[in-house]
Amino acid sequence: MLSVEALKIRYGEVEAVRRVDLTVDSGEIIALVGANGAGKSSTLGAIAGLVPAASGKVVFDGAAITGMAPEAIARKGVALVPEGRRIFASLTVADNLRLGGAVHQSAAEAKLREEEMLELFPILRRYHRVKGGNLSGGEQQMLAIARALMSKPRMILLDEPSLGLAPQLIDTVFDLIAELRRKGLTILLVEQNVALALEIADRAVVLANGEVVLSGTARELASSDLVRQAYLGA
Amino acid sequence: MIAQQIINAVSLGGVYALLALGLAIVFSIVGLINFAHGELMTLSGYALLAALVFGLPFPLAVLVAVSCGALAAVAMERIAFRPMRGASVTSLLLTSFAVSSLLKVVFQNGISARPQAVAMPGWMTGAFSFGDFTIGVGPSISIVVSALALIALEVFLRRSVTGTAMRAAAEDFNVVRLMGIPASRIIATAFLLSGLLAGLAAMLWVAQRASVDPLMGFTPVLKAFIAAVVGGLGSLPGAVAGGFLLGIIEVLLQATLPAAIAPYRDAIVLSGVIAVLLLRPQGLIPAVRVQRS
Repeated sequence: MLSVEALKIRYGEVEAVRRVDLTVDSGEIIALVGANGAGKSSTLGAIAGLVPAASGKVVFDGAAITGMAPEAIARKGVALVPEGRRIFASLTVADNLRLGGAVHQSAAEAKLREEEMLELFPILRRYHRVKGGNLSGGEQQMLAIARALMSKPRMILLDEPSLGLAPQLIDTVFDLIAELRRKGLTILLVEQNVALALEIADRAVVLANGEVVLSGTARELASSDLVRQAYLGA
Repeated sequence: MIAQQIINAVSLGGVYALLALGLAIVFSIVGLINFAHGELMTLSGYALLAALVFGLPFPLAVLVAVSCGALAAVAMERIAFRPMRGASVTSLLLTSFAVSSLLKVVFQNGISARPQAVAMPGWMTGAFSFGDFTIGVGPSISIVVSALALIALEVFLRRSVTGTAMRAAAEDFNVVRLMGIPASRIIATAFLLSGLLAGLAAMLWVAQRASVDPLMGFTPVLKAFIAAVVGGLGSLPGAVAGGFLLGIIEVLLQATLPAAIAPYRDAIVLSGVIAVLLLRPQGLIPAVRVQRS
């Protein structure tokens, strides 16, 4: 469904991503793991069109999307839940959701979709008229995911959904990710918490210093010596 | 007398508020102080003059003039600012100065450097009285128009999807684009609204003076810029508050200062502005903007 080929990203002189190749098949969860600064978020940013690629190619559904504007990529059905959630703090939960579903569906469809989201995230129904900035970190993460789902994406890119959340909230978020996958959504998950990511993913790609150092099924990686030593602390 | 001064103060404040709001809307989305905003106002003034000369009925002429302001703002974005997208704030500022100077020269050489009289309908300069009070028709219309424009803008920003997206874009433009909402639509709408507001302000300004000249927009937009800074740059409620505050203070000082001190009015007002900014550097009602790494 998505393939990234020889992606390279530069910020001025700094090469954030040297070479990343990865593929995501329909209905899969792929985890992109690695230490801070390994190039995970930059890779997601390049897929979503927020970060320009210095070279390489991103192909979604057989068509190259490299260099397209973020709004055009979003309209193709790729939704990014950015790192740090970045919900609209001064807008109500209702308005955040409304913007998420504003394109490529009628107002009536968007209303139905919002109802589905409120079923999936009951907490958002309770805070429907509350400003996003007044929600807790976990609630904001739910809102960020719900906002991305409003457009009925075919693929969702999750950037560090566990960051800054209390342990029991992390479980809730990951249960939700598993549930979205059961519903047929394709997911590319960036996560620093490698153990957690390998638990939920089908396959995983390990990045270090902007390069893929290892990839395989989640089970293979969880038992590989390199991953155990470097990321699982075993 | 006092009632008349209050009406004048609110009416001047309303014009400043409309202009400051136009500056603030564009700034909140694009991060640009559009110094060519005054020329949008001037252009609307000339459009009104032209429409009246061509014999259009007054209401229609006003409609044409305000639309010209809005369209000119959109064209300005398309021609001058869109090619500069992503450029530094300094480059954007210089571009807006360039546009401003260019238009001024076009007005001076293409029309005339001298003020042109605009034939306003007679009833505009009339007054109505309640007992002892005499209230000018012009200032009253000005207040009503400003109030209606502010309400309409508020409804648009709260209710419509594009308006909501504009409020969101002021906070975090990239995430709005991630929602699939095109950046160009938001930016074009911001300029359209700022042009509409400049056009309306021009009508109210011309109504009080019955003439247009190439530099007409300069002073009111300078004041509006001050109002926007005092209110909190990029904050829309701040721009409105700053506009009214500035208008009211100016008129009150005008009315109450003894003749010997009157020439120092602007100095007094600007000292007040400095004092406000010393106490509240972010302005009276600071803009919400997410800190990004």
